[in-house]
Amino acid sequence: MAGKYIGQNYIPPDHVAKVMGRARYAEDFRADGMLFTKLLLSPMPHARVRSIDTSAALAMPGVKAILTADDLPDLEGAERALTNEPRYAGEPILAVAAVDELTAAAAIELIRVDLEPLPFVTDSLESLRPGGPNARLEGNAWGAPPPGGQGPAAPAPLETIKWTAEDFAAAAPGQLPMGRPLEEWSYGDLDAGFASAALVLDETFVVQSTGHHPMETRSAMAYWQNGKLFIHASTQSVAQTRGSIARWVGIEPANVNLICEYTGGGFGSKGAGAVSSAIPAMLSRKANAPVMMRITREEESYIGRARTNMTGRAKIGFATDGRITALDLFIVQDTGAYGPLGDHRSAGLATSLTYQPPAMRWRAVNVITNTPPRSQQRSPGPMQANGIIEPVVTKAAKQLGLDQVQIRRMNSPEGRAEFGPVLPATGRRNRVTSAFVKDALDRGAALFNWDAKKARAGRRQGSKVRGVGVAVGPHGAGSIGFDSLMTIRPDGRLYVQSGVGNLGTHSVIDLARVAAEVLDMPWEKVEVTWGDTGKHLPWTCLSVGSQTTHAMTRANHAGAMDARRKLQDIAARDLGGRPDDYDVRGERVYQRSSPGRGLSFAQAAARAIALGGRYDGHELPEDINAMTRESATRLAGLGLMGVAKDTYPRVGATYSFVAGFAEVEVDVETGGVTLVDFLAVGDVGTIINPRSLLAQIKGGCCLGIAHALFQKSVVDPRYGISLGDRFHYSKPLSILDIPARMDAHALDMADPETPVGARGVGEPPVGAGYGAVMNAIADAVGEDVFRRSPVTADIILMSLEHGARMHEPLRAHV
Amino acid sequence: MSLSRRNFIKGVIAGGAVASSAGYLFRGGGPLLGQQASAPGSVERLITLTVNGQTRRVDVLKQETLAMTLRYKLGLTGTKLGCDRAECGACTVLVDSVPHYSCSVLTQTLRGKQIQTIEGLATADGVLHPVQQAVVDEQGFQCAFCLPGFVMATVGFLKTTPNPTREQLAHGVSGNLCRCQDYDKILTSLMKGAEYMRRTT
Amino acid sequence: MAVIRDPMPAFEFFQPTSVEDAQALLRRYGADAWVLAGGLDSLDWLKDRIKRPAALVDLGTIPGLKGIRDVDGGLEIGAMTTLTDLVRHPLVRERYSILLEAAEAAASPQIRNQGTIGGNVSQDTRCWYYRAGWPCYRAGGNICYADTPESINREHAILQADRCVAVNPSDTAPALIVLDAQMVIRTAGGTERVVPAEDYFVGPGIDITRMTILEPGDLLTAIRLPATWAGATFYFEKVRDRQVWDFALVSVASAIIMNGSGIERMRIAVNGVSARPLRLQAVETLVRGRAADEMTAVAAGNLAIDGAQPLTFNAYKVPLMRNLVKRAIRGVEPATWNS
Repeated sequence: MAGKYIGQNYIPPDHVAKVMGRARYAEDFRADGMLFTKLLLSPMPHARVRSIDTSAALAMPGVKAILTADDLPDLEGAERALTNEPRYAGEPILAVAAVDELTAAAAIELIRVDLEPLPFVTDSLESLRPGGPNARLEGNAWGAPPPGGQGPAAPAPLETIKWTAEDFAAAAPGQLPMGRPLEEWSYGDLDAGFASAALVLDETFVVQSTGHHPMETRSAMAYWQNGKLFIHASTQSVAQTRGSIARWVGIEPANVNLICEYTGGGFGSKGAGAVSSAIPAMLSRKANAPVMMRITREEESYIGRARTNMTGRAKIGFATDGRITALDLFIVQDTGAYGPLGDHRSAGLATSLTYQPPAMRWRAVNVITNTPPRSQQRSPGPMQANGIIEPVVTKAAKQLGLDQVQIRRMNSPEGRAEFGPVLPATGRRNRVTSAFVKDALDRGAALFNWDAKKARAGRRQGSKVRGVGVAVGPHGAGSIGFDSLMTIRPDGRLYVQSGVGNLGTHSVIDLARVAAEVLDMPWEKVEVTWGDTGKHLPWTCLSVGSQTTHAMTRANHAGAMDARRKLQDIAARDLGGRPDDYDVRGERVYQRSSPGRGLSFAQAAARAIALGGRYDGHELPEDINAMTRESATRLAGLGLMGVAKDTYPRVGATYSFVAGFAEVEVDVETGGVTLVDFLAVGDVGTIINPRSLLAQIKGGCCLGIAHALFQKSVVDPRYGISLGDRFHYSKPLSILDIPARMDAHALDMADPETPVGARGVGEPPVGAGYGAVMNAIADAVGEDVFRRSPVTADIILMSLEHGARMHEPLRAHV
Repeated sequence: MSLSRRNFIKGVIAGGAVASSAGYLFRGGGPLLGQQASAPGSVERLITLTVNGQTRRVDVLKQETLAMTLRYKLGLTGTKLGCDRAECGACTVLVDSVPHYSCSVLTQTLRGKQIQTIEGLATADGVLHPVQQAVVDEQGFQCAFCLPGFVMATVGFLKTTPNPTREQLAHGVSGNLCRCQDYDKILTSLMKGAEYMRRTT
Repeated sequence: MAVIRDPMPAFEFFQPTSVEDAQALLRRYGADAWVLAGGLDSLDWLKDRIKRPAALVDLGTIPGLKGIRDVDGGLEIGAMTTLTDLVRHPLVRERYSILLEAAEAAASPQIRNQGTIGGNVSQDTRCWYYRAGWPCYRAGGNICYADTPESINREHAILQADRCVAVNPSDTAPALIVLDAQMVIRTAGGTERVVPAEDYFVGPGIDITRMTILEPGDLLTAIRLPATWAGATFYFEKVRDRQVWDFALVSVASAIIMNGSGIERMRIAVNGVSARPLRLQAVETLVRGRAADEMTAVAAGNLAIDGAQPLTFNAYKVPLMRNLVKRAIRGVEPATWNS
């Protein structure tokens, strides 16, 4: 599939700034008279603010303003930057602006907040017990979204749900009780599926919550000029964050100028920005001065978002050959103090897709707890599904005497595979646009030398025993319908506007590679503008959920094709013949039959300006987004404009897959796990940027590995307070914990439902790394050793010591 | 070493203007000299630092960390604060060629020391340090917030171990966290940096 | 009430150039004084705004507290010697490789570049309740938040707990105990006091608010390693989650001098299991004259964990400590996979 630019490595234009320390992130900006803010965080997991006495603080020299929830716009019940009813310990109640941070901190200590403690709960199962506490006054769970609102984060009603004592009693020790669900779907004949099974397994698994903890916390600096808010904030999605900030601050999007050229990581925690950025914005207005909000790492551990933890129970029927006959999945999700989040829904769909059960039921309860708020974290849902389902498949393969790759391969999706329930809109089950999972598994098994490694697995040498594992991580990998905006100017260069956030995945730049390919424009003559909503950006997808590469290569293919057609039109108009007689190549548009007859791009750009109208952006397509229209209008007259909405057809839902293979070595005397070898193969469509793509696969796998090995969140249940506020408690993966050998490949097989063939890659490797490593541990020490993650040394050692699972079966946040 | 008042005044004259642009910690008045200036071992707020080869006079609070001095007094924002608790390495700088977490060093303890930050690696005319060049060539790092710390840790490590194995280098930069977890590519680029270093020296 | 972190409140800062001047300052500020060595533990407390000293006394400017000297076939290590300098010293490598291994297992390279041996042995516990400022026994209160059936105490004590169940986090401490290190203390009164490493550390039964015997105003100035165990057969192992930064779940250090096929004498210590690193004298006695084999190791391991009382989440420390003691005696058979 490789072209001149597509499928080729390149050095992104921001790299020199990065290595020189000149890349400026939000906290690197300064402004004259800048104030600093500190936050007062709730010490209680659930309380009501009765009164606040700020008099002593306001009397301090240097204190300029204090912001409370009363100063913020009402967001119709959605989470706000400050609150009068803190729902988790660490939730910000107020913010002080002062001439320096020391004064702000001293002022915070002088403020007296009278809090009325309210009932709280930190464990979702406790909230479901008869008489269990509700995390919120209004209820304890998110109900099903209204019809049509099936998206991952669709709004949902708050409900109160309690299961009966009988529901709890019906579950064996260590089994997830299954009371009334609030959401449910099914397809196929479940009973017949189980009846026909040779083996039926019923297992419970606890997937932990983990903080996103991007290296850059959600610091922000804001000031106002001429009624307009200028804000330096960290976001994954520049174009779409402007609207979020406008909503949080209560102003029009046109009055927000967001600057974010560099984002120090997000992983889903800064999808459309961070609600906390309203604090410096509002404080700045109140104090009439620029305000810097430095978010500390500890604050990030409260307000910085975390993955939803899930306790799942899967009953799966297998035929003797390993084929799955039926799958019954129940998920209790903990969505933290806010939400709703749809990880549990994505988990259900991903299960149906990855393991292709002919009959399946999915049931779920989406519970609120008084723990820090969750958001989508890299592979939100599908990764947790890998955690719940993989141990069952591993155990089945062992009991049926089947190879682990083989059982996954036979149950894997192929081509336009069906998944999920029957959709009301179509009356049919959904399909993916393409899946080449079997190819990925075959290629991976060969490259990994699976058979040789398998042969030595389980044999002990000294205190060490090795094991191998495989897993397929799936995830939705692309949205559609976004816009592109570019101009070829009289200087002969192509200027591409990119509304993508710059997270270092290079998708922010990759989209311009597509435009360069379509227009055959030398890369050194392409300028990409990004990172500032004042610089005329088009309407762009959120850089979450592996969407960007798919969505924005489509959009920029459309935009470049629009520019190409305009080049041909102008040439035909000026030089005669039909537009189709003209080719675009070598920075020229020329007559195919008479290549000397043509215009250079520079000439064509000048002609476009002279012609005006649709050629230079004075007339715009009807279907583009208002934001694109606004930006294009400002760029009109600068050159030949390529502007288009992605209207390319797509049949099916776009998903990507990564197959992960792991070999681990377990020390049975310490419980320690060492990763010996790891390999991943991506089924992610056409490769756009090979080096970046493979880094995404490896990095994503590492996040999964961290979940398998150590990373976690800890909350003390009696006081409702998070304990994992340091990295040596929460344990993000270090460079010494990665596999000794790590390799990644991609199939480079084009997706048929998108013009460039590319799908997204960010999420699917997470479940692959997570599942493969846990499966390898199980292979080494026994498939019943653990039913929760992370699989730390204590869990392994105690199970081996006692010949039975000894870990806490169901409790969350330990 | 304690500065006498006379030396202090001489130093102001010799060192030129006092750098104190954005007062992150303390802007409201206050005496420049500590109240206990006469006690043995007491320190003064106006100190001389050598940063990236330049001598700078800086008004430094007693509780001020080097990271804060660099970022908020000297305008050197290339040094990042990731955790402020010696747990991530984003703030790594060299103190007398040795990698330190600048978040966990009091600036007051650095009088007379040579401090080098990411901004001080390239030559004045913009020629990148071999490790920086290798990171560009191999496209090391993703979001790059951890990059300055990793690069400084590498430059410091290579001074004592110029020809490391990949595993040794991993240990050398193990005090640096990357949440993109681009560790494999980071190591590849830093190994190339070590190779470039050996070629240039 | 409010949880607020990171800007350190103001303090006076002193950089004395002699131990005498330092102690004069400590006297002057009494309970409001704080001794600064490498600063890793200290700054953490100060940034948390939990410990609020009026004055910091930096030992970094006192000549003579840094460096390693050859003394009578042993070594004298200045308390302010960094862990990196310790690791790089040829005589440490030659005579006391176990101390090198232990120091190298500590924290991260940057922390070892800055952190001192004196600080490593004198640092406070990392119990996450105590460090977060919960008003527990160790903080002067009358409760232990880590020791209830619901508490999360995976990293806490299994031995010699007394109200407080925190553990000592030092990696070098068990190695120093094994080497029979002598801790040189300049007392507040100005006299020199030398105590064996195993007596340097105190459990909650002695003083629940401190980790060492240092009284206010006392300074650890040096650590002397006698020649007694130089060149012995050493074993050190630290089991932790992540291979950098993390504190030990359990660590073990041992020195064995063989006589033919039997153990002539042995010293062994563990850490991460109690508020102080524990020398296992009963094990030392048991193994004397026995072969360093599996049978001896099993007996020693079982003896070592005698009396262990695990909490809700740390029962694994019992077999872990037992196995580490076994390994310290009979070693670890290396795996020989072909890749």
